[in-house]
Amino acid sequence: MVKGGHNMATLKIINLHAEVEGIEILRGVDLEIKGGQTHAIMGPNGTGKSTLASVVMGHPKYTVTEGEILLDGKNVLEMSVDERSRAGLFLGMQAPSEVPGVTNSDFIKTAMNARLEEGKNISLFKFIREYDRAVEDLKMSEDLPHRYLNQGFSGGEKKRNEILQMKMLKPSIAILDEIDSGLDVDALKIVGENVTAMKNKDLGLLLITHYQRLLEYIEADFVHVMMKGKIVKSGDISLMKKIDQDGYDWIKEELGIDDERVFVKEEEQKVMLGTCATKEALDL
Amino acid sequence: MKMQYQKQANIKKKEISEIERLSEGLEDYIVLQDGHIVTKKVSSAFDDLMILTYDEALQSYPALFNELVNVKHPSSDAYQYNFDECNSGLLLYLPKKKRISKPLHIFYVATTEEFTHNTFLYLEQESELNYFEHLFSDAVGSYSYVSNAIVHEAANLTYGALSNLGKDVASYVYRNASVDRYGISKYSLADVGDAIQLMYQTINLNGEYASGTSKTIAITSGVQEARYETLLEHNALYSEGYIEHYGVANNESALIFEGIGQINKGMKQSIARQQNHGIVLGEKARLDANPLLLIDEYDVIASHGAAIGKIDDDELYYLMSRGLTEKAAQRLIINGFLSPVMSLLETDTLKNMFLKRVEEKTL
Repeated sequence: MVKGGHNMATLKIINLHAEVEGIEILRGVDLEIKGGQTHAIMGPNGTGKSTLASVVMGHPKYTVTEGEILLDGKNVLEMSVDERSRAGLFLGMQAPSEVPGVTNSDFIKTAMNARLEEGKNISLFKFIREYDRAVEDLKMSEDLPHRYLNQGFSGGEKKRNEILQMKMLKPSIAILDEIDSGLDVDALKIVGENVTAMKNKDLGLLLITHYQRLLEYIEADFVHVMMKGKIVKSGDISLMKKIDQDGYDWIKEELGIDDERVFVKEEEQKVMLGTCATKEALDL
Repeated sequence: MKMQYQKQANIKKKEISEIERLSEGLEDYIVLQDGHIVTKKVSSAFDDLMILTYDEALQSYPALFNELVNVKHPSSDAYQYNFDECNSGLLLYLPKKKRISKPLHIFYVATTEEFTHNTFLYLEQESELNYFEHLFSDAVGSYSYVSNAIVHEAANLTYGALSNLGKDVASYVYRNASVDRYGISKYSLADVGDAIQLMYQTINLNGEYASGTSKTIAITSGVQEARYETLLEHNALYSEGYIEHYGVANNESALIFEGIGQINKGMKQSIARQQNHGIVLGEKARLDANPLLLIDEYDVIASHGAAIGKIDDDELYYLMSRGLTEKAAQRLIINGFLSPVMSLLETDTLKNMFLKRVEEKTL
């Protein structure tokens, strides 16, 4: 089954191993995403799903120890984060940063200009029209362009802002990392509709999620299950339906896995609040 | 001797043309060079404001100067020196209930080795003034600048400052305000110069419900050393004081912020808040923030904090993940960080000058 023309992008992940602070999290991931396809990676917490997304985008925290990532045959691992983006990759993040003082519209305009030849800028008129339409499509507040990037946004607003950026930047391969978490049903529906509307033969999509409910709004062609840092099972939408009914235990049993996690999150360390300065300490 | 004279004249010429460029698009401004008003372009909106040099003012308003002498000031040699030796002085006097919302820009230009200037802002009851000063020097020498503001009952002073002093300048800047009942004084100070800098600000909240805000933004680079001290002293009940410091330290420079919110005994229901934000860019740069609260009263609201660090890696990654180069992402984050001052700069010329200086200093 070949969809699309020759413009179609292909992201190939081959035997990918990656670690953070000496702990190996990805242990041989193989995955191929073509333009026009929608893949979903499911799996319980701590199995390496989000790490995969971060490694593909190039988060500096992770070190790739083995394997390859190719975008249309080009070595992604040799590219810096910004080069990856300009090459057509997009990651809708689970917890996008807040950047004070930088407005949403300035940010996205700068990002769009970064895709053009040096010295060239997108037409302001065209930009504003496109941005306003995206704001409307995602049912976000009208003052969004002038607000600071993600600052003071609710969880749902942040996620919608990620989709808005995706709409504006038009990537060829987009990874949406738990874009459904923190969304109420209405917001999930809006996000689902907008992502579905973006689907075309030139866009390859990878959805990372805990829950099947996202896949009620965005149809997936392929469903993968990740455990212990690799993809352990792949199938079509019927796999998702089985997981929805029976959970993950049958897969663990089938594969003889006790603990599906690659790492166990340490309890967050508690910080004691003390006194910053007292009259006595300052000798007053 | 003759040669030296020639050199001075050249510097003069260069700076004046710079000021001409910077004043482009400004409606109301005064250029004061080495103690003399050389340009005065002020519209009728300022008809109620008396603008006098100290020579003129001493004759017409001797009583005001008594108040000036009695203003609570630091017992520092530098302050005293400015007071004793000032070779340039400017009085702005705004009578009762006169409100001028348009900003008045004043360029204080030094072309001589020694610039010692004193400005006196006097706002009578219920008056309102929006004042913006530009400190400017490329000369080799010292630049001593003191401004005192007396803000009477329910008067409102908005005070902006942009200083751009050259690297061969050693500078002492002291700004003081005394605020009476219901009075408001709001200072926004930006420093993009290369000078060795000592900058002090004090706001004395002397009447009930008086309010004072002091925001400072500074960028140091090269081997520059700069220190900024802000003191908000609460001498009355229900007074409110806010301090905000923003700094970027690049290369091997050292930048120090010291903020003090002082609530004296009995000054109940006062509010003292302070925040410090700093980005350390240079590997060998140093940025210290000392947010102090000196409180001698229980019934108050107070907070203080400091967040200093390098540019947040996650922010950088986030912006780069949308295609911005590291440099472009860094620039956007720094400009965003400094945005509280950008909104104060009225014209594109001033905005561009500021951004250009930021870029030069943060490369």
